[in-house]
Amino acid sequence: MSLMDPSNLGALIHQKEGHLTRELLLSPGGFGLGKVPDKNLPDSTTQMVCGFCGTGCNLNIHLKEGEAVCVSPTTEYPVNLGMACPKGWEALSVLDSPHRAISPLVKKSPNHWEPVDWDTALSLFTRKLKGIQQQHGADSVAFLSTGQMVTEEMTFLGALAKFGMGMQHGDGNTRQCMASAVTAYKQSFGFDSPPFTYQDLEESDVLVFVGANPCIAHPIMWERVMRNPHAPEIIAVDPRKTETAMQSSLHLQIYPKSDLPLFYGIAGILIEQGALDENYIEQHTEGFQEFAEHVAAYPLERVIAETGLSQAAIEKFADLIKSGKRVSFWWTMGVNQSYQGVRTAQALINLALMTGNIGRPGTGANSITGQCNAMGSRLFSNTTNLLGGHDFLNAEHRDKVARTLSIPTDRIPDQNSWPYHKIIEGILAGKIKGLWVICTNPAHSWINQGQVRDILERLDFLVVQDMYHNTETAKFADLILPAAGWGEKEGTFINAERRIGRVKRVKRAPGQALSDFSIFKLIAQYWGCGEMFANWTTPEAVFQLMKELSKGQPCDFSGIENYSEIDEQGGIQWPFPDTETQPPEPQRRLFADGEYFHQNGRARFIFSEPAKMPEPPNDQYPFILLTGRGTASQWHTQTRTRNSDVLRKLYPERIYVEMNPQDARAYSIHPNDWIMVESQRGRLKARAFITQSVQPGQLFIPMHYEETNQLTDAVFDPHSSQPSYKCCAVKVSTN
Amino acid sequence: MNFDVDGPDLNQSYGSDNASSVALRGTAPAQEFDLISLLLKEQQTLTAVDQFAKRYDANQLPAQSRYYADLIPAALPQSGEQYAFGVDLDRCSGCKACVTACHSLNGLDENETWRDVGLLTGGTNQDPIYQHVTTACHHCLDPGCMQACPVNAYEKDPVTGIVRHLDDQCFGCQYCTLACPYDVPKYHSKKGIVRKCDMCSQRLSDGEAPACVQACPHQAISINIVNKEQVIADSEIDPFLPAAPDPQHTYPTTTYKSRKPFPRNTIPADYYSASPQHAHMPLVIMLVLTQLSVGAFLTSLALEYFLSAATTDVMTRMSATFALFFGLVALGASTLHLGRPQYAFRGILGLKHSWLSREILAFGVFSNTAMAYALLTWLSGESFADLKAWQPLAGQVVGLTGIVGIFCSIMIYVFTKREFWNFESTMIKFGLTAVLLGITSTLFTLYLLGIFSHSAESQLLVAQAGPLLAKALIVTAVCKLTFEASIFRYLLRRQNSPLKRSALLMSGELSNITLARFACGILGGILMPAFLLNHQAQPLHTLSLLIIVSFLFVANLAGELLERYLFFSAVAAPRMPGVLR
Repeated sequence: MSLMDPSNLGALIHQKEGHLTRELLLSPGGFGLGKVPDKNLPDSTTQMVCGFCGTGCNLNIHLKEGEAVCVSPTTEYPVNLGMACPKGWEALSVLDSPHRAISPLVKKSPNHWEPVDWDTALSLFTRKLKGIQQQHGADSVAFLSTGQMVTEEMTFLGALAKFGMGMQHGDGNTRQCMASAVTAYKQSFGFDSPPFTYQDLEESDVLVFVGANPCIAHPIMWERVMRNPHAPEIIAVDPRKTETAMQSSLHLQIYPKSDLPLFYGIAGILIEQGALDENYIEQHTEGFQEFAEHVAAYPLERVIAETGLSQAAIEKFADLIKSGKRVSFWWTMGVNQSYQGVRTAQALINLALMTGNIGRPGTGANSITGQCNAMGSRLFSNTTNLLGGHDFLNAEHRDKVARTLSIPTDRIPDQNSWPYHKIIEGILAGKIKGLWVICTNPAHSWINQGQVRDILERLDFLVVQDMYHNTETAKFADLILPAAGWGEKEGTFINAERRIGRVKRVKRAPGQALSDFSIFKLIAQYWGCGEMFANWTTPEAVFQLMKELSKGQPCDFSGIENYSEIDEQGGIQWPFPDTETQPPEPQRRLFADGEYFHQNGRARFIFSEPAKMPEPPNDQYPFILLTGRGTASQWHTQTRTRNSDVLRKLYPERIYVEMNPQDARAYSIHPNDWIMVESQRGRLKARAFITQSVQPGQLFIPMHYEETNQLTDAVFDPHSSQPSYKCCAVKVSTN
Repeated sequence: MNFDVDGPDLNQSYGSDNASSVALRGTAPAQEFDLISLLLKEQQTLTAVDQFAKRYDANQLPAQSRYYADLIPAALPQSGEQYAFGVDLDRCSGCKACVTACHSLNGLDENETWRDVGLLTGGTNQDPIYQHVTTACHHCLDPGCMQACPVNAYEKDPVTGIVRHLDDQCFGCQYCTLACPYDVPKYHSKKGIVRKCDMCSQRLSDGEAPACVQACPHQAISINIVNKEQVIADSEIDPFLPAAPDPQHTYPTTTYKSRKPFPRNTIPADYYSASPQHAHMPLVIMLVLTQLSVGAFLTSLALEYFLSAATTDVMTRMSATFALFFGLVALGASTLHLGRPQYAFRGILGLKHSWLSREILAFGVFSNTAMAYALLTWLSGESFADLKAWQPLAGQVVGLTGIVGIFCSIMIYVFTKREFWNFESTMIKFGLTAVLLGITSTLFTLYLLGIFSHSAESQLLVAQAGPLLAKALIVTAVCKLTFEASIFRYLLRRQNSPLKRSALLMSGELSNITLARFACGILGGILMPAFLLNHQAQPLHTLSLLIIVSFLFVANLAGELLERYLFFSAVAAPRMPGVLR
């Protein structure tokens, strides 16, 4: 090029095009996509379910030479209708991280691990855990599973650990999020069966959200609420003015943990006003009479006193339920993570049953799920339930599973596993000596963290299997096994509305990382029980086994032919038994016929007297600490989300505590001051965020920060064993 | 007991030759090793394309268009109208999907975002506010970025009103990042340029919605057509969003709507956060040294005026050279500030509107005349004595262009409408730096002359000008330091105004710099010259004198550099409501 050429000279002085401009060039993406960055122009696309939360959004994966280069939400998918939250958009970028585990690591000295090859790692795994079992008994080794792996892997893990390796005890991190909902459904309906489909969010005329902040925790479910064409009344029951409360038409800002008396009181008002579906109660439920007697003890005055709400607000709430044609009740961790989560969830189930708001479009007592595969874990982790939602204590179930898997029945334990907190206690008591932690992070997420960390140190051998080598739990590990993550492996997830969706291998795992499926396959071989899993060749082969296991169960999905059918149908909700002849409808709900899973086909009214708050605020610790989700860009313990630059920009980097201005004044705390928050169990330093969204006497700290659980109190729901994360007594000081 | 790894659906690419032969019995290590390599290999094969890629009709409309068809205008704006973002705050839940979608669908760099979501809080315990606010470029009617840009790298589309940045035209001066009240243009140090939101004009022109509009789950963002007169009228009467910068400066076109009234105590979540801004070291050096240079020329002129040209003649050559040297260092430093210095020649394209272009031109002329003047002082001695007649005029031209240059420097910052950089404050700081460093460098030159030349003329000059300059220096330093310290009065105010934020930064995170600045100022501007005045009667040892004047020079120069560092880092930049940091 000659500088003397006038056009070049012109461009030199005023350059409108060039390589920098081309970097941002967009081109039509094809494949139904709009314009996409030219540098990431896909040569094909595929679709799969997102790997963060239980909403189960579908993502278009833009592929270039087989490898994912970008994602965008799938327009037609019946869950997310073309939308995704920030985590979904950034799903690929968290895979690229310097913190990925790329080789098995063996602890050589405190804080020092050395890479080894898989053969060395697996030989060590086998030698150590077998050694512990020989010395202390087979049940002295336990495992902690997850709601984040594909169901096929969970099934493999559960079967390998219990049937292959002879473990007795194993639980999953779903104990921390869904256990109360599971128990509530099991006791009330006879099976762990969330009855809803997301379409219900669009069809209700009254929506009640209890202890749920879908705006932040489940933005795509909130999308469906925003698309509701019936100008619905939205009621938010939450001690905090959350984003969801901001957008509601009635916010019931109750005193923490006063939800149970509130719902009993509302039931009392509805009974008193005769706002019941007597026909439904008569034909499809049992125990209503006793329930009515129980709630008679919750007159308005008591409810006002315990909740701190006004009479007008309580009556408005009852009126809205009464006048609503299609009322739906939705809850999540504000209910589940409680010392009385099961009964609170059942109080909502009772309201739905007595008003006949179930089994019809836009109704239901609906538990919003946390993790992407919490439902898969509930059915197939082989921890609380025997594979496929079966019962370890039931001999017929054990036989069925043994038959289906072609294993001897006596390999199946005839006792229940300890729940999570009993396993932790078991380590303390010296009964559990070896622990295998897969795809979860108890040293961050378990309640009363200081104690848990102390307990983890007592293990003879701790194996952590994870995508990242730097999780808080990995720091305690004797052996770290590098796992492939979402997008690097195959399988299925089951979302909150029981929809089975696909996960595919669209990225290469870094270094020596292997899919959890492959790791389990290898461990089976090294352990010497490979033969038992001879047919477990691929995730899809295991999917076929899962189908067989589900047969005859409420969750029967034996009608799904194979993975391709899931793709073609845009996900398939269970039940879908092989007796179905038509392709499944895209939106299906349970109990349209009023038939429940108890033997007599009836749903049960279950209730009990509310328990006292385990650690109420007192003179020494005058504040109630609430915990919960911080932003939509943070996920749980942040092992993944902190690896995306963009997500990191979208949340406060350092821990903060929300405090009411009135309390701040009383303690001379100024905005942004670093203050100490202390419970009987630990203390942390956090930045003061002064906001009216928390009530005086209450504090809120997001759960994503490592320090938060140093404060929480290890109290559990007696029915579900779920930890009560959301209320404990703390004090603040300014130094 | 066969373990057949070659299952029915296993990927075909690695073939069955070795796979089907792997049969494991018990725990035979060699064979397990085979299984490990096999699985590692399988892990590296990608299956989605062969098995699951979905077919689409190449010509179909983007699937997503069904959701956004109503969110973008059907026709182009008429005359007097333009495109604008519309945000329905009642639908913004704070999920921030817009930020990530913009990032992904525009192929931005790892750390780059063109959209932000802030948070407004306030209200009462009974009725609190917790409102997220999504924000991007406001495609202003009178864009600050475009006015400021010295290379015309911004264009406002005459039809759509979209403010586009021409990435290949940008030379990375970053002035737009200071001039935009909304913190929109973002600088990329690796690329050496700025980039910003262009309302996805490549999409809009083909009937597609911008990425953020496509991706908002709640349809809170739309593209509207706004009437420009209306935008101006609106910005005269109401703030376009609580706690947002005054819309009168640039006439932002985004409309925020909400059914909820915002209470008076609505504040952004980052209201109480103040973090030091980028210090722009090359600019710090450039500003201080240009002012030194201009100040030195002016001080020489002033001495000539007060003492007579004949008296000062002995030092003219030296002081002119000294001043020129610093002037040239300053101009060199200024190019270091550019992301793409090879395009520095584009810097004067924006002469019509950009104070930066004007500054570049003014200092360009200044440096050339200064060079000519310095040359003149060297030549006019013996060989070309008749050139001497031109010297006073040349000196005045140098001084005048220098003053124009400093004025342009001042206006660069005044244009940004930041309170810490308002006209009075910037003029006093820049002006007094010129005076202070001008005197300092002249004093320094003078004493050097006195030390190394023992001629009667120079001794006379030192005796006459020395005390004069030292006194002037003390007066200037006291004035300047007092003025700078006056910012701390804002610490007593309750309102967290921008000036209070600056005072908080200077007394908080930047307190070490502040202390050093005042220490240098007092040492070099007050104590050292006072010492010199005190020792007038009994002449000092040459070496001690040299040390003292060097100290004086270094302390004052360091003090002014620190002052300018604080000028940049302690400024409270206007911004849209942000999040807790």
